[in-house]
Amino acid sequence: MEVARRNNIDIPGLCYKKGVEGQGRCRLCLVEVKEGNRRRIVSACVYPIKDGIEVTTTTDEIINMRKDIILMLFLRSPNNEYISSLVKEYNIVIPERYLDKDRKDDCILCGLCVKACQSMGTSAISLVDRGINKKVSTPYDDASKDCIGCGACAEVCPTNAIKMTDENGKRTIWNRTFELIKCSVCGEYFITKEAYDHMENKLDEEKRPICDHCKKKAIAQKFKESFVNIS
Amino acid sequence: MENNLNNYENSIDIIKEYPQDKRYTLAMLQDIQRHYGFIPREAMEYISEYLNLPLSHIYSMATFYKALKLTPKGKHTIKVCSGTACHIRGSETVKDQILSILNIKPGETTSDGLFSLEVVNCIGACALAPVMVIDDKYYGNMTPEKIQSVIDQYKGASIYG
Amino acid sequence: MVSRKIYVCCGTGCLANNSYEVYLRLKERLENIPQTEVQTLVKSTGCNGLCEKGPVVKIYPDEISYFKVTVDDVDEIVEKTVLKGEVIDRLLYFDTGLKKRLRSHRDASFYKHQHKLALRNIGEIDPTNIDDYIERGGYKALEKALTMKPEEIIDEVEKSNLRGRGGAGFPTGKKWRSCAGYNDFPKYVVCNGDEGDPGAFMDRSIMEGDPNTVIEGMIICGYAIGAHNGYLYIRDEYELALKNMQKAIDNAKERGYLGKNILNSGFDFDLEIVRGGGAFVCGESSALMASIEGNVGEPRAKYIRSVEKGLWNKPTVLNNVETWANIPLIILNGAEWFKKIGTEGNSGTKVFSLVGKVKNTGLAEIPMGTTLRQLVFDIGGGIINNRPFKAVQTGGPSGGCIPKEYLDISMDFDSLSEIGSMMGSGGVIVMDDTTCIVDVARYYMNFLSEESCGKCTTCREGIKTMLDILTNITQGKGQLEDIDLLLRIGETVQKASLCGLGKSAPNPVLTTIKYFRDEYEEHIINKRCPAGTCKNLTSYYIDHEACIGCGICSKNCPVDAITGKIKEVHVIDESKCIKCGTCFTKCPRDAVKIGGMKVEA
Repeated sequence: MEVARRNNIDIPGLCYKKGVEGQGRCRLCLVEVKEGNRRRIVSACVYPIKDGIEVTTTTDEIINMRKDIILMLFLRSPNNEYISSLVKEYNIVIPERYLDKDRKDDCILCGLCVKACQSMGTSAISLVDRGINKKVSTPYDDASKDCIGCGACAEVCPTNAIKMTDENGKRTIWNRTFELIKCSVCGEYFITKEAYDHMENKLDEEKRPICDHCKKKAIAQKFKESFVNIS
Repeated sequence: MENNLNNYENSIDIIKEYPQDKRYTLAMLQDIQRHYGFIPREAMEYISEYLNLPLSHIYSMATFYKALKLTPKGKHTIKVCSGTACHIRGSETVKDQILSILNIKPGETTSDGLFSLEVVNCIGACALAPVMVIDDKYYGNMTPEKIQSVIDQYKGASIYG
Repeated sequence: MVSRKIYVCCGTGCLANNSYEVYLRLKERLENIPQTEVQTLVKSTGCNGLCEKGPVVKIYPDEISYFKVTVDDVDEIVEKTVLKGEVIDRLLYFDTGLKKRLRSHRDASFYKHQHKLALRNIGEIDPTNIDDYIERGGYKALEKALTMKPEEIIDEVEKSNLRGRGGAGFPTGKKWRSCAGYNDFPKYVVCNGDEGDPGAFMDRSIMEGDPNTVIEGMIICGYAIGAHNGYLYIRDEYELALKNMQKAIDNAKERGYLGKNILNSGFDFDLEIVRGGGAFVCGESSALMASIEGNVGEPRAKYIRSVEKGLWNKPTVLNNVETWANIPLIILNGAEWFKKIGTEGNSGTKVFSLVGKVKNTGLAEIPMGTTLRQLVFDIGGGIINNRPFKAVQTGGPSGGCIPKEYLDISMDFDSLSEIGSMMGSGGVIVMDDTTCIVDVARYYMNFLSEESCGKCTTCREGIKTMLDILTNITQGKGQLEDIDLLLRIGETVQKASLCGLGKSAPNPVLTTIKYFRDEYEEHIINKRCPAGTCKNLTSYYIDHEACIGCGICSKNCPVDAITGKIKEVHVIDESKCIKCGTCFTKCPRDAVKIGGMKVEA
């Protein structure tokens, strides 16, 4: 997958994100690999790259599989914008009898949000239950004391399935409401207090909350000053 | 089976029997399941602390493995085997009969707390299909007609003791 | 001075029929017999395989076998057989094929075609007594192995052509050799005791009835590949197996077969039991290892084999219970001996669990190459009530159905894969004309939908969709395009799924469509279930021409829905009929016929 993306070859993948170990969950990245005499279908995000293997990213067989996989995702999330656009792109015919138009589940269980939360060090959400009942949630669907409201999960979600609302200085996500704090420079709300404290503990930063926008400006200013000082 | 209504502190002793290693998570959960008949939330929190693992991981384990239950069970657990041999020999009609007698669905407990019903995977007693297990007792070659009398045995026992 | 041994089967099947009480009563009665008359010994053993006819009690050296023994029979058994060696006819096995009672179970058609290797000790030893095992040659293979070079052991296993008995039939020796070749430590040996296929109980029988053979096999492997730790992953539902296996491990440790410096060889090896949590997917090797590591049982794509990176990313050999049970024999008797049994490329025997609509249900260990016909009819005794044979399902939810055209197929790995099924764990579910094949496909999809781990899209969503389609068909809502939809989705699930569970999930559906397409079409077009199983698509009526008015149907109808005078044609009142099928099976002239769904007028 990495190699393909670096070379601008398109292999679709919903559960893949650069920097995260390939999971093999969504199955969209299937390609055909020829290694020696052996020819098989494998997931590009997991299959180990070796010298001398031949990878074919598009065949009739692969296109048909992709179409069926998108169909399955659509039957699961018929009201999701992104999946609907894939259906149009691949020209997929939907068997209407098996379509439940009222289904509202946008989550396709790619697991990226769980990985993001793990890498934040909080692990507030996880993949729960199994089979068709599998879902992402906090324990007991309750407000989790491990959640810091950082929103990394919502950001990384490929189908926009995680609801995060920022309103009146408060953020609500995963059934918990957080207080947002303001940037000490521009005065806009930008992060929850818990997330800020969490990162402060990890990064040993300055004690003044600064939003990303202002932080970039401050760093750019420092560069500018250092150049001026050189000359 | 104990029912400590407070904060399930007994679970700490159960958990401490094991080394502080992630790989004993399932074993701890199994022991707690056997002791309380289900996994109390507090027990999950104790495990999370003892093993220094996120609560979400323990919750994932408890919901993935179907031997573990999150809600308390009834006094007697009726398990109907849904294995292939049992299925072919009529386990569905046996199950339907139990459903109509007890008025609960699989996974539920009767309102008097006496019976919990589960449909389980193959128990391995295939030659006696269809098989039903109540607590530790196996009942083989079940038919819808036999069910009432078997259930009555357990009902009768509870009235007198 | 007469000495007699009495063996009472205490495997799970017989226990369910109160064999433990029989065992206790026998012990009690025999304690009161002066040892000068007859020297007696009572043992509780593991499963004899013919659970339906249990409890089973065997008396040696007389070789008398009693079946369906109750506590009330004990006194008579003690008086007549134990004290005087007399036979009690009514307790003997009645062979339906030979139509007579047999003194010893060994003569029964169910047993006499069997060749017991993996099951050699079961029913003949007390599994909790390690001396019983040792007396029958136990741990001799380990003694011999420790004098051999690891390389020699792997050679022998490879030459024997032993193939994995858990499902795919991968060459065991090749697996060991691969793992031994990696210079990465520590290495691990794992036993897959998560026998999840519904209808299969051979591993249960071995773990309960002869746990030491598994232990011995694993130690030998550890020595051969350089591993010092082994794990036995045993399914949560197998209470007795967990208990007996732990006892065996404890005993083996006491005797120096496990632990440090085994038999003074300098080799250390330890075994630990890991209890499953109720997940069929944990029978998949990578999911099993994830489970041992303390995670949920989600498999991984096996582009890098477990022999290279398995448990905790270290080289691991994982084998099935029955595979382990064969190892001591191969080491003791040699590869050539093993190859003489079975067929070319498929050496040795296989334990099959013969269940379903067959007369003799139980475990049968037969040489590879035995035909399906021999298994079902000679050993199994044929279909119950002599109804017509329809098909067998082999390989459980991962396997396929085999119709009567292939009754003469050889039961071996290669032959079964060739026709689209697989050996699998060895479960053989026998079906007759009253089994609806569409319902069987639906049953397996339902099972798999609950057992899917949910990790990959195709397995999780694909199986659910296939289940919805099949449910529609069995309820009379199917349309012809559904069959093609099943085939198409099935093909994608096969190719695109991440693990063996997903990849093989469509097999029951695809094979039943291949061999029984007409039955699917009957459900869809005529809204009729020819087997009478799908209740919405079944209605019973009596054929006027065939009915002789005997009245058997009306007598047996549980809801009095049949009327008619003697010697006159009988009629079923459809408004009362609950479709139980009793009249259909009881009619001596096959005059009760199955019609389709009744459309409201």
